Amino acid sequence: MTEVSSGSAPYIYVSTRMRVRKSKLIPREEYLRMLNMGLPELTRLVEEMEYKREIDELAASFSGVDLIENAVSWNLAKEYQKIIALAPGEMKGFTRDYLHKWDIQNILTILRGKQLGLSEGKIKAVLVPAGALDAAALDRMIAESSIDRVVETLPIKAIADILSEGLQAALESRSFGDIENELYKYYYATLIKAARGGMKGGLPFLKYVMFEIDIKNITNLFRVRAQVAKDADTLALWIEGGAFKPEELERLTTVESLDEVVDSLKKKVKVAVLAEALEELREKKPVYAVESTLTSAQLGQMDKMSKRNPFSISPLLVYLERKRYEVANLRALARGKESGLSAEILEKYLVM
Amino acid sequence: MAIETLFSDVGAQALGSGLAAIGAGLAVGLAGIGTGVGEQGIGAAAVGATAEDRGMFGLALLFTVLPETVVIFGLVIALLIMFI
Repeated sequence: MTEVSSGSAPYIYVSTRMRVRKSKLIPREEYLRMLNMGLPELTRLVEEMEYKREIDELAASFSGVDLIENAVSWNLAKEYQKIIALAPGEMKGFTRDYLHKWDIQNILTILRGKQLGLSEGKIKAVLVPAGALDAAALDRMIAESSIDRVVETLPIKAIADILSEGLQAALESRSFGDIENELYKYYYATLIKAARGGMKGGLPFLKYVMFEIDIKNITNLFRVRAQVAKDADTLALWIEGGAFKPEELERLTTVESLDEVVDSLKKKVKVAVLAEALEELREKKPVYAVESTLTSAQLGQMDKMSKRNPFSISPLLVYLERKRYEVANLRALARGKESGLSAEILEKYLVM
Repeated sequence: MAIETLFSDVGAQALGSGLAAIGAGLAVGLAGIGTGVGEQGIGAAAVGATAEDRGMFGLALLFTVLPETVVIFGLVIALLIMFI
């Protein structure tokens, strides 16, 4: 590919566009208003937002909450594809690598759907074609007759190799958990490799990737502590490349005292926002509350990084993540309202 | 002797006006380069903002042309050198 060197202008252009888009996302006050709305009002409000075009497109196939859910997912996928298209040079590469996680999520959804014998339409409804595999490629995968065929015809070779290695065991145990771990390890290894590749703008990207790995590992640590038996082998679960070693994280799953866990984690954490978030985790909390504390810390740190490196990949990554949470919030609100959950409960699940 | 003095006076005058022209050229040229460097970033951001929101066009254009004042300073200096 021919690389055109044109100084900092492309970074400034994209960063500004991302900042404008970020400013158009739903603000906290609007979410608080939405919490007190009924489902019809919420639907009408979403129709008036950025999601109008998708809602009009899908109105013939879906209705009610399904329509909102599919429209916001479809909007997210289109938005991500547009961002890949407008990002210049090395930024495009980083963005593509970063959005690779949607491919992993989509492939696992297809495999799980196939294993459970779900219909093509049902699998398709929950996919978000935001990565390298577009809607047409995913449709072809869904149409394959068996799981083996899905893996064989997968266009991303590295993922296909990981899948074919663990597929037999996964089918026997009827769980894709181990494959999922391996895929995410591969994903983060690819990101670190790309960031360390010596390309311009790699350093802020590397810092962010390492931070995200830490957040993932800490979230998993609290999940494991809440669920898994104390003597379970969790070594394969942890993602390498962040501040913590897998052995250390495994040891922390067996430590009884929460204070000791937080102290051990804080020793390695250099990011102030995360250290503050860890302080909040000293008292025992349900997993969803831990996750929301860590997610807020992650977004807070991303905002900080994007202000410190205003013309880098950071503003783009902030927008990608904020948009993802906006879509997740709208889905949670719509589903929550449909199930009759109270505003207080729903508020705890929103990332604002 | 008188002819030699006459020639050296003409030469000094020509050299003087030549140097003044070079000075005027440098004033406008360097100011132009500075403006270009300044406008690079602002222009990129302005195009980005306008691409997202058409309403930003007027304000973005205003910000983009702000560094043009530097060229005007250069031009004023050049005119002063050349005509005063």
